[in-house]
Amino acid sequence: MSNIIEARALTKSYGSLKALAGVDLTIPTGAISGLIGPNGAGKTTALKALIGLCDVEGELSVAGMDPRTARHKLMEDVCFIADVSILPKWFKVSQLIDYVEGVHPKFDRIKTEEFLSATDIPANKRIKELSKGMVTQLHLALVMAIDVKLLVLDEPTLGLDIIYRKEFYDRLLNDYYDGDRTIVISTHQVEEIEALLTHLNFINNGEIALSAMMTDLADIYTEVVVDPEQIAQADALNPIHIRELLGKKSYTFESVPKAQLQPLGEIYTPSVADLFVAKMKDSRHE
Amino acid sequence: MNKFHLLQFHALLQREILEHRNMFIMAPAILAGLILLFSVWAMTRMGQDTVSISIEYMALLFDGLSPLEMAPIFMIPAIPFIGIFYFCAIIYLMNSLYQDRQELSILFWQSMPVSNLNTVLSKLVTIGMVAPLFYIATMFALYVIALFWLAILGWSYDIEVAGLGYMFLAAVASLIFVYLSIVTTALWLLPTIGWVVLFSAFAKRTPILWAIGVFILVGFLEEFIFGTQFLGNFVQSRSTPTQYLILDFQDIVERLINYDMLFGILVGSILLAGAVYMRRFID
Repeated sequence: MSNIIEARALTKSYGSLKALAGVDLTIPTGAISGLIGPNGAGKTTALKALIGLCDVEGELSVAGMDPRTARHKLMEDVCFIADVSILPKWFKVSQLIDYVEGVHPKFDRIKTEEFLSATDIPANKRIKELSKGMVTQLHLALVMAIDVKLLVLDEPTLGLDIIYRKEFYDRLLNDYYDGDRTIVISTHQVEEIEALLTHLNFINNGEIALSAMMTDLADIYTEVVVDPEQIAQADALNPIHIRELLGKKSYTFESVPKAQLQPLGEIYTPSVADLFVAKMKDSRHE
Repeated sequence: MNKFHLLQFHALLQREILEHRNMFIMAPAILAGLILLFSVWAMTRMGQDTVSISIEYMALLFDGLSPLEMAPIFMIPAIPFIGIFYFCAIIYLMNSLYQDRQELSILFWQSMPVSNLNTVLSKLVTIGMVAPLFYIATMFALYVIALFWLAILGWSYDIEVAGLGYMFLAAVASLIFVYLSIVTTALWLLPTIGWVVLFSAFAKRTPILWAIGVFILVGFLEEFIFGTQFLGNFVQSRSTPTQYLILDFQDIVERLINYDMLFGILVGSILLAGAVYMRRFID
């Protein structure tokens, strides 16, 4: 499997603030990859760098091109939805479709109109008259009708209610993803995308704190609700995170054989959300 | 440039017109409406004798003139339209690469496969060539209404209105001159346009203050360091109103092909290249 994104030692500073401090990121073609991180971790900067909207230092290749020098060519193969309502508010829905049809060689107008016919979005309304959920639906309807290799989503469902959020990801998975396309999603709502992801990347303080395939997580990370009498043994195995759980202590371990952990208590595979918390706290202590 | 690129550029121009329809379509339409209302009001206050004398005076004024010779007189009513257009053009250029950064829609525009060069070019073509057409079309409608009205007045007051056909041709010729004047002005003022667009791409807020402030600062530094006033003289040499008017087809060749014009185009192009470069990254 080839890689659609290859980034090595990406750095970006805003004054004294290091937004990216040597990001190494590899995303294989066909992956649905999550880029998860707390506020200010560098997610948006990293995603903007991937589509040439932000000048970064380091090696970067997206769909075989350098986004810093070939953005407009790259955007024939990449689509992007940002975390804010960025569609121009003065456009009518039909005018926006006309525009995208006019400028994008891989846009299929009929597909967008089909998607929109299943929504309550009227073609003659201006964007500023639509609710945030409708604007996101509209943006998704446009993007889904563009035949690209890579879709980059930066907090696409931020501020939407649960119905719109669920519908967004359902449509993305059922109507858009075909196994060949690659999707990179950055979001806070980890639980909602956990089931979609094939790859996971945590970013914190401008660095990648974890990068793994979802199928490998269960082999690498183990959560153990440790029996009280086994606490000393558990501490000795260098857990990356400890939390209180219903009066007991739950330990998260990295790369410790399950056979070694089994005697300590009940073992689980941590959820992405729990792993996220564990890794973020772990990276703060490093 | 293949067919798709032409269609893409057409879509970019269409976007500019739709986004600025108030400046390019509504503003001249409202001005024309006001002129018509004022004219009707003025005519109702004039007696038949005054109207007759005015029409006869007009016939005398145009007597023996060809449409091309009459055209400069027909350009006079275009002055308020040109004034409004230039006012709108300044606002348009100031906001051209600034407003979308402010409202974050730049993230959408930049997510489309459109080069920054084409984006900037589309804005220049819009303001220098396309938007003036809407003003010209409105003025044409106004002239047609005026001539039609003149014919009705003549018929109702039983006055012979001579040379209506010539007047129509003169009106058309005057509008062609107005259009060519605006296009020539855009080229003549390309250094100014480039300067404004550069700061529109650069400024995080109030691009007009940046554009004026930096110009004054650079002019001051030039005089302070080198003891020269090249910048001030350069602007002054391009600020005589008669430089912008085309009153004869012969004028166009003289205005377009001369050292000053070509030098200005070169300076403007360098500044615009700077604006294209600034547009590359949005942070």
